[in-house]
Amino acid sequence: MSFDAVIIGGGINGLVAASVLARGGKKVCLLEQSGHLGGLAAPGPDGGARMAHLLYNLSPLVRREIGMDAHKWPFKLTPVSTVALNPDGPHVVIRGQKAQLADGSAHPEAEAYRQLNGQLIRYADILRGLAEGGPLGIEGRLSSISGLKELWRLGRIGRKLKRIDKSEMRRFLQMLLSNAYDLILDDLKDGPLAGMMAADAVRGGFAGPRSPGTVFSLIYRMGHGGEVTWPEGGMGAVVTAFEGAAQKAGVDIRLNAGVARILLAGDRVRAVETTGGDVIETKTVLSSTGALRTAHMAGVDAFDIEAARRLRNIRVKGTVAKINLTLTKPVSVAGLTDDMCPARLVLAPTAEYVERAFNPAKYRQMSEAPVIEALRIDAQTFSLMVQYAPVDLDGGWTDAAKDKLRAVTLSALAPYLPGLEDAVAQAEVITPDQIEAETGAPGGHWHHAEMALDQLLTLRPANGMGRYAMGPEGLYLCGAGAHPGGDLMGLAGRNAARAALEVGK
Amino acid sequence: MSLFVDPKLGLIDGPVQPRLEAQSRAKSWYDWAGYAAPAVLDTVEFEYFALRNQASLFDVSPMHKYRIRGPQAQAMLNRMMTRDITKIGTNRVGYTLWCDEEGMVIDDGTLFRFADDDWRLCCQEQMLTWLLDAAWGFDVEITDESKEVAGFALQGPSTFAVLESAGWDVSALRPFDMAEVAPGILISRTGFTGDLGYEIWMPWDDALAVWDKIWAAGDLWGLRAIGYEAVDYARLEAGFLTAGVDFQPARGTERLHRGLTPYELGFGRLVHLDKGHFNGRRALLKAKDAPRSVVMKVDVEGFKPAKGALIYHRKKREVGHITSGLWSPTAKRNIALAHVQMPWAGKRPSDLWAEIYTLEEGKWDTRMARLTPIQGAFFAPPRARATPPARI
Repeated sequence: MSFDAVIIGGGINGLVAASVLARGGKKVCLLEQSGHLGGLAAPGPDGGARMAHLLYNLSPLVRREIGMDAHKWPFKLTPVSTVALNPDGPHVVIRGQKAQLADGSAHPEAEAYRQLNGQLIRYADILRGLAEGGPLGIEGRLSSISGLKELWRLGRIGRKLKRIDKSEMRRFLQMLLSNAYDLILDDLKDGPLAGMMAADAVRGGFAGPRSPGTVFSLIYRMGHGGEVTWPEGGMGAVVTAFEGAAQKAGVDIRLNAGVARILLAGDRVRAVETTGGDVIETKTVLSSTGALRTAHMAGVDAFDIEAARRLRNIRVKGTVAKINLTLTKPVSVAGLTDDMCPARLVLAPTAEYVERAFNPAKYRQMSEAPVIEALRIDAQTFSLMVQYAPVDLDGGWTDAAKDKLRAVTLSALAPYLPGLEDAVAQAEVITPDQIEAETGAPGGHWHHAEMALDQLLTLRPANGMGRYAMGPEGLYLCGAGAHPGGDLMGLAGRNAARAALEVGK
Repeated sequence: MSLFVDPKLGLIDGPVQPRLEAQSRAKSWYDWAGYAAPAVLDTVEFEYFALRNQASLFDVSPMHKYRIRGPQAQAMLNRMMTRDITKIGTNRVGYTLWCDEEGMVIDDGTLFRFADDDWRLCCQEQMLTWLLDAAWGFDVEITDESKEVAGFALQGPSTFAVLESAGWDVSALRPFDMAEVAPGILISRTGFTGDLGYEIWMPWDDALAVWDKIWAAGDLWGLRAIGYEAVDYARLEAGFLTAGVDFQPARGTERLHRGLTPYELGFGRLVHLDKGHFNGRRALLKAKDAPRSVVMKVDVEGFKPAKGALIYHRKKREVGHITSGLWSPTAKRNIALAHVQMPWAGKRPSDLWAEIYTLEEGKWDTRMARLTPIQGAFFAPPRARATPPARI
């Protein structure tokens, strides 16, 4: 068995990488350890949302390059309204950039919110230029074709930056590295609206809104306009579409095929050995699992000592647990006249609440008053992101710990969803350690490496490996641990595949 | 990388300080890894000539010594070192160096192979954190033996006879062999002088007794205790480099590009690019054919030692500097180690000149001294390699 390239992992990035390589004329095999594709995007048995449950950063660039429709996604995306739950008054309903109160009246801070949000979206548009394509910088000679292309890209981003006027530029640079808490509370009173933004800024990360760099992660979510959408047919429809693109491109997809080792000949990739003992010969391997795990597959001795040190020091602690609720009877949101479905309910009454929820995670404890993003798929199905549930929980994620998390979560939601606790038919708790075991995401972290300023661009996943190639010749990282990160975007996979194609030329 | 010594603490006594103290007429101590080590005990001339003509004893206990044990010790060391250490036989010692990821030399040292899974590294710089880093992911255990193992360098033409008089038969030891001659006492035929010589390794607390035994045995063979200055003469005659003098250990430099590759230091033969991956290999593949400078052994015109002199091509363009220089009493030459930039090191090296500052009775002057490149060591006596060695 021999292929031009083998992709490890069939998540969105793995599927995208495989498709780009196959469309580039390579004979590609994709190996997925589990019995299904999708990774963190993989749907539950009902096709709904097992882990990831919303889309906001799918890249149209990726869509075009893997041969999907040039203009639209093959699944219908429904914009999802957000409800910032308010314990002491009317909830705030956000549709697009418009915030209003649940009773239909105007929100006093609607204009301030619109402006702040608009500003973040504008900045996100600038930064998207950095995300699409490898990290900036010219390593080769300027006179080479790739050097010239890179120079051209630098120039385009530079021009975009130059179009911003001076005072706006000053503000952009001021806030880019700062913390979300200060930024939000400069313009908004601390309440549900501010809390919702603070929660969005830290979702998935080991950070509180007062942690430096959280403005960046808030902007990152808005890289493609900031609109939160739910795919019709659930996450299953998304994964099927990406799988279809890979199939169409001619990728040989194999399930239940974990990779035990990446075999080397001298200092280059020779083959991969599956956990089943099959040896698949290839000169190129793109791995979408964590960077450190990938290094272990190839053997630590294939990496320089400094590289191994950086890999094991990547900050990656997952903090989000997933709880999937199935109810025996419909439950509505108290105080919400409009029975919205799907709706994104955010339990983060203030930005301060979010910061305090983070505190226990520093001491390996779960939040007693968690931040929750509850996606109400229908009146009887809820998909919950519960934060903070640190991967390294003191004592481990035992059944008792999971029961406690479930109880804490349900009682936190109870005031807003009357009758919820009695209506629960099934409450599946998926903790970060489980996410890691099932998907290979290190630390159960969505981004495979904390999205912090010291782990971005050429420093992602670590210094010296910022251009997808790592260690021996022919080995690439194509998962969320590589630039520009995760979020069901597919750009890391696409960029890694392009880097591999460039070398093959 | 110098060890920070607490000024309140002062220098620490080494394992044979009472004997050194008693012999020290010069009272000239220097800081070697925190220990009070003799620069000179009597006069450098006496000590140097004892080393070259009789036998000399030098305490090398302040060297750093690390034990590397475990099933993957060989694999771990082979990933760290530039040479193929699997070629070092059991009970053999290998001279080796290791690089950072950019291919810049971190340090050099001697690697003792007791068994496949049991090695000792002896080196000048502190290396524990680096070894621990290098060991990550391997089934090995690193122990810092610096304060548990003492060592003496017994160097000079009559040293074989000294050991024989002490009752230790080392006649079968070829250069770089080692043997345990008595329980806990290891002798390796190694040294830093380019002469016949041995290094004796023992538990720290046994050092005084072993010193006394050697001292008694050396009485008839002209044995002298010596300080570092005499060793420094000898090592330069042998053409050996000193870390921190002739190259800057890469991890101890703060400025960019102060490190040097093994190729630039003339150690290309100790880089085995075909052995599989090792630290810095990818960088060294690129650096191999593009040295920025090279270290040359040169004969300097005249007799004034050239240490610190700048080097000029055609007396005009500055192209390098001299790191060590000495009027060699044995080679009868004014010898030096010169770092010369490429391409000038390669083309017409006879046009290289050192600008030497001279001070004559209060008057400073400079003069240009022609450099003549020399191949091989400045002094390499056949007795250093003869097995069994001569008694004198």
